[in-house]
Amino acid sequence: MAKDTRLEDAVLRGEMSIVDFCCEKVNGQIERMKERNPDLLWTLEIQRAMWEMFRDGHKNGKKVIWFGGPVPVDLIVAFDCVPVYLDTVPIRLSPNPVLAARFIDAAEKYVPNSMCGIDKVELGMTLLNQFGPEPDAFVYSSVPCDSSRIAYPNMDMILTKKGTPCFAFDTPFRRDERGIQYLVDQTKRFISWMEELTGTKFDQEKYNEVCKKTNRTFEWQGKCAELRMRKPCPLPGRMLVLNGTSNAMSGFDAMGDLLEKEYEVGEMLYELGMGPCPEGEKHRVALLQNMLWSSAGTMDWLEREYNTVAVMDAFGFQYGDIYEHIGDLEDCLRVMARKMQNNPMIHGASGPSENFIYLVDKIFENYEPDVSMFIGHIGCKHTWASAKMVTDMIQEKYGIPSLYIDVDGIDGRYKSLDEIKASVADYMDTVVNK
Amino acid sequence: MSYQKLFDSKISTEAAKAWRAQGKKAVGTICCHVPDEIIRAAGILPVRMRATDCVDSSSGEVWMSTFSCSFARSILQYWMDGVYDLDGIVASDGCMMPSRVFDNAEYIDKKNGKNRFFYQIGAPRIVNDMTLSYYVDELKELIERLEKFSGVKVTDEALKEYIAKYNEARVLVQQVAELRKADNPVINGQDFSSIILAYTDYPIEEYIEMLKEFLADAKNRKPYTEQRARLMIIGSALDDPGYLKIVEDKGGIFVADALCFGTRAFPGQLEVDDKDVLGSIAKYYLERLVCPRMMDDRATLHEYIINTAKEYKVDGIIYEKMQYCECWGGESVLLEDELKEAGIPLLTVEREEHLANAGQLAIRAEAFIEMIEK
Repeated sequence: MAKDTRLEDAVLRGEMSIVDFCCEKVNGQIERMKERNPDLLWTLEIQRAMWEMFRDGHKNGKKVIWFGGPVPVDLIVAFDCVPVYLDTVPIRLSPNPVLAARFIDAAEKYVPNSMCGIDKVELGMTLLNQFGPEPDAFVYSSVPCDSSRIAYPNMDMILTKKGTPCFAFDTPFRRDERGIQYLVDQTKRFISWMEELTGTKFDQEKYNEVCKKTNRTFEWQGKCAELRMRKPCPLPGRMLVLNGTSNAMSGFDAMGDLLEKEYEVGEMLYELGMGPCPEGEKHRVALLQNMLWSSAGTMDWLEREYNTVAVMDAFGFQYGDIYEHIGDLEDCLRVMARKMQNNPMIHGASGPSENFIYLVDKIFENYEPDVSMFIGHIGCKHTWASAKMVTDMIQEKYGIPSLYIDVDGIDGRYKSLDEIKASVADYMDTVVNK
Repeated sequence: MSYQKLFDSKISTEAAKAWRAQGKKAVGTICCHVPDEIIRAAGILPVRMRATDCVDSSSGEVWMSTFSCSFARSILQYWMDGVYDLDGIVASDGCMMPSRVFDNAEYIDKKNGKNRFFYQIGAPRIVNDMTLSYYVDELKELIERLEKFSGVKVTDEALKEYIAKYNEARVLVQQVAELRKADNPVINGQDFSSIILAYTDYPIEEYIEMLKEFLADAKNRKPYTEQRARLMIIGSALDDPGYLKIVEDKGGIFVADALCFGTRAFPGQLEVDDKDVLGSIAKYYLERLVCPRMMDDRATLHEYIINTAKEYKVDGIIYEKMQYCECWGGESVLLEDELKEAGIPLLTVEREEHLANAGQLAIRAEAFIEMIEK
């Protein structure tokens, strides 16, 4: 039976918004899962909650705020606005190369094809005005990279022309007191800006509630991360993708619920001596860069064919900063500043390479992988430019040689799943299992 | 005429060697938020690093991959090859590529047991009171590090002395740029590019003398009269006059630019507030127009390009984008339309640090010049 592509076609014709498409798709997946695998429904609930929140924001009387890069999301939630983490759009579209291509191609009319696919999709979506609900504001940061530093200010100018207010954070590479204070000072200015945008005063109580929810999210995420340290690792590599996007929803119950469930299932599997590898865990792989969003099937295949599980990826890795003194605004702003600097991708990729090396070293220390793969998203050129330092450290300190493959984590047209698998298979057969 | 050195675009290490022979330090600088005035006030010679004439950056590529800007990885290549025999590097986090040159150079240096001086300052990407204050703190720390390294105390007097010298150079460079306004200029794009590149290698005093001598002699130069179109060049770091020659050989003449190794290297004047000398330096360096690494000056940059094009009676703009240079690569989104609105023809070309596509560029440039010539 031919695949039903009516929804995709509608997006390609520009007749359906991304948000409506994602809502329809997730609901379709949920219906199918109800029939085939109801035990796994919890893995999709978060997506439904998120996309429907984006879709219904205006209907529910809330302002819809786009954000890019690390910004104080908890404050956006505390002002009762809908935070839309723009990276969720390219990540959601990436498994469908044709769909992602529509927005990538729109951006490439102006920007080089070497620009990161995440930013190209976001810029393309803005140029085509196809997200769905018009944003009421756009908040962004000067990190993680040169691609985002092109996409966001251009989106700012496009949106500003339409009268959409925009706010930009300058995120320093420093992780010390000066860097933290710099972000805290900007965040205070952001609070005033949000007050003006929403016409409401900052409400400490509401903020406290959000902080509690965020803490819950990151406490469970920390526990899931610890679960992955166990041998065998009970959780599949595919679940790692959640780490990169959890910030989008960390201030909502749904995210904490998901991670709690993930932990519960992982713990149960561990107790049963089960894991994602059908014949037991033979190898543990650390992914040194992004998750393979466009080819996440590689994770399943590695588990199936090589009984090898991805225990952690460098960009999704979270330090999980926790608010310790909820109610103390100054202290919370400092924690939030640290969160912004320790965000997935930001922590390793946006500053000096020593941060990246440190991060990967921690992964090797804590998760004890015996396989190292730099499956590098080509858009992330500055991490490619750190890769030798990182992989030399792994070789020298842990005696593990690293596989290098270039992929496009968003644009599946760059390299097919089969091509990626072939490169990984060569490495597994000739180096790991020689 | 000693100013002839202005027209030799090759990297010259003679001044740095002579400087170091006196027991003084010389450091490489990367990107445009490292104030030369501060480095000189610390008794150190700043050498702005570039990669002119680098045709093989394969070792740089080993460290930075093929997915990196070839200008950046060629600088790393030169660093590894010892083309720059200096006491260290001071960088600002311009875009991610110079940052990675810095990281890799430091890593390789340590690996080789050299442990030279490496320091990177963070330059804000937004201009306001808060970011200016942050940048001042960054410069204060730079001064502390430099003082410790060179053993020379940085005083306000010394800073003002070098501000005055660099301001003098700024005036002279602007006078050279003015020569390009003539219908038949006495310098072409290659000449101007070489003149600017010379500042990277020489102490500012020597550079000033060369500029003065050149300006005094400029009236004796034979004007360029055969050009068919007046051009402006904008885009990624361009440190190779040979690139401009390819276009000028086809009948164009570059009379203006918006390049960091061009007029933007010496804009305006650094106004000193005696009560806050460091603050004055920070203000100048943060507020001056640089490249699209900044996030809030796009409109000003576009305005500058359009106004300059008009002021210099430009017939068309060539916009060169270094492959993997996202900053300039992505600047077209609104600029293209704005240039169209202003009636300024635009040719966009991709390039690498070495002249890999000279033939193709020549053909495209020739077609563009034919299209816009009056």
